[in-house]
Amino acid sequence: MNAMQGILDFWAAYRSTLAFAIVNSFLALSTYAVLSAGILSFATVTYAAFGGFLGARLVLATGFDPMLTLPAAALAGAVLSYLVALIFLRLESHWMALASLALILITRVIVINIPVVTGGVNGMSVPLPVSLELLAVLIALAALVFWRLSVSWYGIAAQSVREDTAVASSLGIAPRKIQTIAFVISGAVGGLGGMLLAGALQFISPDTYFVNIAFTMIAGVVLGGSYHWTGVIIGAAVFTALPVIAQAIIPEFQDVANGIVLLLIMIFLPRGLVDPLSIRLRKNFQIPVARAIEDPSISKPGVVK
Amino acid sequence: MDLFFEQLINGVALGSLYALFGLGFGIVFATLGILNAAQGTYASWAAIVALAAADQYKLPFIPALLTGVVAAGVIALLVDQVAFQPLRRRGKDMLGALITSIACWIILDSLAGTATGHNSLSFPRGTYPSTMYHLGTIPLPVMQIITIAAMVAVTVGLHVLIRHSRFGAAMRAVGWDQTAASLGGVNPRYVVIITAFIAGSTSGLAGVLGGITTHNVSFMLGEGLMLKGFAAVVVGGYDDVRGTALAGVALGVLEVMTSQYLSSGLRDGITYALLLGFLLLRPRGLFGSLTYSRA
Amino acid sequence: MSGPNANGLSQPLLAISAIGKNFGGVAAVSELSMVVQTGSVAGLMGPNGAGKTTLVNLISGLLPSDSGTIRLADVEIQRSPSHVIAELGIARTYQNVRLFSGMTVLEQVMAGCYVRRGTSLWASFLGLPKARAARKAVEIHALELLDRVQLANRAHLLAETLSYGEQRRVEIARALGTSPRLLLLDEPTAGMNAQESNEIGKLVHSLRDGGLTVLIVEHNVQLVKDYCDHVTVMNFGRFLADGTPAECIAHPDVQAAYFGKTTDAERIRTLR
Repeated sequence: MNAMQGILDFWAAYRSTLAFAIVNSFLALSTYAVLSAGILSFATVTYAAFGGFLGARLVLATGFDPMLTLPAAALAGAVLSYLVALIFLRLESHWMALASLALILITRVIVINIPVVTGGVNGMSVPLPVSLELLAVLIALAALVFWRLSVSWYGIAAQSVREDTAVASSLGIAPRKIQTIAFVISGAVGGLGGMLLAGALQFISPDTYFVNIAFTMIAGVVLGGSYHWTGVIIGAAVFTALPVIAQAIIPEFQDVANGIVLLLIMIFLPRGLVDPLSIRLRKNFQIPVARAIEDPSISKPGVVK
Repeated sequence: MDLFFEQLINGVALGSLYALFGLGFGIVFATLGILNAAQGTYASWAAIVALAAADQYKLPFIPALLTGVVAAGVIALLVDQVAFQPLRRRGKDMLGALITSIACWIILDSLAGTATGHNSLSFPRGTYPSTMYHLGTIPLPVMQIITIAAMVAVTVGLHVLIRHSRFGAAMRAVGWDQTAASLGGVNPRYVVIITAFIAGSTSGLAGVLGGITTHNVSFMLGEGLMLKGFAAVVVGGYDDVRGTALAGVALGVLEVMTSQYLSSGLRDGITYALLLGFLLLRPRGLFGSLTYSRA
Repeated sequence: MSGPNANGLSQPLLAISAIGKNFGGVAAVSELSMVVQTGSVAGLMGPNGAGKTTLVNLISGLLPSDSGTIRLADVEIQRSPSHVIAELGIARTYQNVRLFSGMTVLEQVMAGCYVRRGTSLWASFLGLPKARAARKAVEIHALELLDRVQLANRAHLLAETLSYGEQRRVEIARALGTSPRLLLLDEPTAGMNAQESNEIGKLVHSLRDGGLTVLIVEHNVQLVKDYCDHVTVMNFGRFLADGTPAECIAHPDVQAAYFGKTTDAERIRTLR
């Protein structure tokens, strides 16, 4: 009886952490969508703001079921990201990253100055129930989408563009086309994630979608492993859960713990927790070894014939 | 009309803070090739340390100021050696250094919050000069004069250092290519450490002066300076300190004037609009060079 | 259209006319004209710094030209982006092997087959049966290409773990994946021994016999003599000489360019 109660208490306490981990995964996947095509961009936060405020306002104004407005948030994000792509893809990569930061800064100013939609400086409350079941279904869907992307022709093209854009182009892969697709995917996932964040927080303000989550988002992506979508989700989960765990041990310094873990991983595992390359390298050297073992003509030291 | 000039001077003083901060940020960006997310924390911590020196240890103004500035330089040095140096051996990678700088930003910001008890603190009266001069009928607090003078002095000093001294040449060489620089007889490790210290203490100076004049000693001080300083670096030209200084002052003036004559809600808007505009249309800024862009 | 014209002569597949490229004040290539006949193996030679790789970069679209024209059959391509040029049928390898990091040998060649994938990105994403079938066909084709360069048994190894010579062959297979009409090889035998170089030469000949046109940038004089139908020599970004390999090697200007003084060239010539 006590054990059951203990489990239920534990679940109640950490439900919201799980919910936030899933929501943060959406934002991380949105960043990964463009990173996997070779672009560093923080614009996910802008797509999230767009999807979050628009979606919340839509629900409040129309009384529609949130389930119906979630696709609207994704669509809004996709449209915005397409427009951003048109402008940003003309820039060099490092300027593009900075421009995406500038975009976040301007978005906040815009949000403050259109209180009719966003509630202005004071923010708006978001009575949007987002159940854990819904989040689980949505993240499973997102995982499916990113899995299909990675194993399809788009995945090969995006990886090529990321690894060596000039060579990819000489193989007939049009970088701008692939990267535009990446932007649209990023926008859709980001817009959706923004609305889910609004629902999880129950309150959003200009500071919700700002530089802070931009930085923690990219940190989570790289920590988890920016070379595979599973790494990205794991990174977001770790980055969300770590401070919660740390709070139980060293309250007041839980964020510091996050920073230290991030620092250590970046120095010792620069490609993140999930690194397809190191997994493949291990397999790589097992194939010839396995074949050599089976081949009787190859001499093996220590084996007496 | 008087109001206009008063606000103009306010703008120049505010802009001088942005310029000072931007100078430090720009050195790391242009010379070391790193977008340092932790730069703002140097300013916050300089203000916190200076406040502690002035308030708890009863140091007079200048020593307290210097304590804060040196502290910021030391923190910057530590961040560079702990977070950036391990990555340098692996070759050029903007993303890696950015992430470790984010890690340091998280750590330092959080500690700053703890240090101030999550409050915004003020320098008590008497810990800093508060004489009020007058330019005709326009009030001119001495702190504003000090801020503007500091900005000018540091800008001139840095310009001479970077463009007209051997150490400056070494800085630029190391920023460009550490291996090549060392082949040319420069000790890159030493140059990088000194550069990091200079950049940190410059931003730290902005932090102390800003903390005094805006009555806001907290982690938010640094974050605010960071965004505006970043804008000053981009608009002014990422590798020219004179450009950064000019742009910083201009942005400060624009901000105050916008707030006064248009709307306070649009205060930051004009700065960020300019920032985005330059990034899209003229990334090298007003005075930046056209050659290979850093990071 | 490339093929015999009314006189029965082959139309050139590649026609370069007075092409020029400047970097700052330096003319890397200037006033260069040359043709490559369809179905031939053409060599491009010249001392280091002659502008050979720049010329290859201009043809493949890595760099836009400043002046002159480049025609692939009837289409002008001197200012086209490289992915358009690839779709038109030009593929290339690089002086320093540029394989994609993290990909197996097979995946490299699959990337090369992107232009001939035979299905839309959308269908591929959805995993529709037609898309799956097309993918399977491409995979078989990619393995065939690997077989041609004798690397089929390395298909599932990470390309970056292979030896240098093997990596070069992967790069060639990857370029062939685009089903090109013209293959540009930039110093394909650099760092190879005589036997490996001959393998490359034989491969080039078999590609030519299959209808491919090949332009090779090479320093290896023996290879050029044995396998090229026609050679163009550059120096200081300009046309120096052209003709059969024997003609070019014997040409006094060519000898002077490679060996310096005419007297040295004389001595070398008598050694032959």
